[in-house]
Amino acid sequence: MKPFSLWTRREWARRLFYCGMLRCAGLLVPAPLRTEWGREWHSELWHVRLACAPLGAASWQGEREVFAFCLGAFQDALCLRRASLHPRPAFMAMDGTARQCILVLVGVLAASYAIALLLPGVRAERSLGPRKVTPGLVMIEDAAASDDAYPTISARQFGAWTARKQRYFDGFAFYRVRQEAVETELAADRGVDRRTWKVAQASPNLFALLGLPVRFADAATENGGMPEVVLSETIWKRQFGADPHVAGTVMRLGTCIVRVAGVAPDGSLDLPGRVDAWVLRPVAAMDSGTPGYVVGHLTAMGRAEMWAPRVHITANMPEEAEDDLLGVSLEEWGPTPVAFYLFALGLALLALPAITSVSLGESSLNAHRTSWSRRLHRWSFLGVKIALLLPIAYLVSLDLAYGFTSLGRERAAYIQLASTFAMTLFGMRWVLKDQRQRCPVCRRRVTHPAHVGQASRTFLDWNGTEMMCMGGHTLLHVPSLPTSWFSSQRWLYLDTSWNFLFAEPTRPTP
Amino acid sequence: MARSAQPSETKLSHTAALILQALDAGFVYGFSIMEMTGLPSGTVYPAMRRLERDELIRSQWEKQSIADAKQRPARKYYKLTAAGKITLEASRRRYPLLERLIPTEEAKQV
Repeated sequence: MKPFSLWTRREWARRLFYCGMLRCAGLLVPAPLRTEWGREWHSELWHVRLACAPLGAASWQGEREVFAFCLGAFQDALCLRRASLHPRPAFMAMDGTARQCILVLVGVLAASYAIALLLPGVRAERSLGPRKVTPGLVMIEDAAASDDAYPTISARQFGAWTARKQRYFDGFAFYRVRQEAVETELAADRGVDRRTWKVAQASPNLFALLGLPVRFADAATENGGMPEVVLSETIWKRQFGADPHVAGTVMRLGTCIVRVAGVAPDGSLDLPGRVDAWVLRPVAAMDSGTPGYVVGHLTAMGRAEMWAPRVHITANMPEEAEDDLLGVSLEEWGPTPVAFYLFALGLALLALPAITSVSLGESSLNAHRTSWSRRLHRWSFLGVKIALLLPIAYLVSLDLAYGFTSLGRERAAYIQLASTFAMTLFGMRWVLKDQRQRCPVCRRRVTHPAHVGQASRTFLDWNGTEMMCMGGHTLLHVPSLPTSWFSSQRWLYLDTSWNFLFAEPTRPTP
Repeated sequence: MARSAQPSETKLSHTAALILQALDAGFVYGFSIMEMTGLPSGTVYPAMRRLERDELIRSQWEKQSIADAKQRPARKYYKLTAAGKITLEASRRRYPLLERLIPTEEAKQV
């Protein structure tokens, strides 16, 4: 090598360029190893340059070799980085094992459940699902009404129906909603809180008819003749800080002094009006002209006549001819997300044989008989995989379909149907394929695929892919072209004579 | 020692076997192994780090005084461990062509 003083400007530039490459690669190396790593690569670079592109005799080929050498430093640095990010023993020991597969599936299940809990659309759909209301409830409204959200029945009409004997209904409840000023007493030194709530004036039997339990109702037995108010759960939490001793609290509602009788649960029934509080009082005491909402409970005969979610009702009035009304069921009509899921699952199972073999490919090349316990473990593993896959498909389909609240229920149902079908179909295909590639002895995935034989000699000898169990228990032979003498995959169970192939003694079987 | 030290490394790849053979044949630093095996630097150095991690080889820096005397940077030399020698023996049985590709001094004499 020439002394530094004799180096040309181009030689300096080349040296700086290669050293720069190594320094850049060195940034990828974990800091504690960087100095040692850099020292070795710079030392090797010196020797590589000496051999490939000596000073004063630079050639394009030589420079290319030095450049390729320096590029290798990036690969080396990345390997070190990866090794530092994934500590080897814990990960490598589980690589390809049945336990790793189960853990991954459990992780996906937990993630999809967590997403379902976080997405408001999915939460709302799940809360709507199992409605805890009395069966046979209908919302009665004027047949000419264009929107279910607007009240159409007056207290006078309601009074007339309840006075008559009914064949199809055994109970009615009435309520109407209006904005009212509310004054509640705050803590001793904080004065009075004034707000405006949406308050419903409701007949006293409303909650009994709906079958909704009013919480803390037992605590307010003595009302002192004051009207009772039932708070919505939202108001109870927001205004009263979810105080469990709220029952019995006296407050001013409009011009009346009322007493809190309890708290109605939210989300259990989607009644129109979005009410903050319910004042329970006789319908006779309400203004007879203002329209409200009527909920009716059907008798057995009425339920038999309710063949659709919306039915026409004709009510005979004393002085007028008749009222043309509409009964809208408060129960769930149409398929639920679970029904969609089960339907799509059934379709996917029917379609499965069309895209993959349903055989588990357990035949062996040599006369080896697998013990019952190993077979049981293998089947249990398959069962656990399927048992984890199915709820994953359900939750992910809910996330996809109902995660975006802007989509309508009908569109969401289609998305759920399609996503469930795709996930269960391809999920089951993966489960079967994975099972076929699991060593029957240790249930570890076979690896290191190697092509054996020649396609041109198919009719003289088999050709296909050979895979090996890392534990040294088995070899898996999968034919490229199924023939009459080798139609499906076969396992070759390795005895002790194969041990020399492995650098360490065969792994003990589980 | 080595077998218990590498619980998950059940078998050696062709590359690793080739590098062990080259080390055994007397090519004891990275660049010489690259030249001998024809493998690129991006393969040889990571493979040697893995072999060192698995305690099949160990490394040692050349004395600075020797490097200074020869007016070059000090080199890092690699050497087979006892476990490495056992593993290499197993690899030679598995890859019979290994010794023909890189003959050791003893093999050359025979």
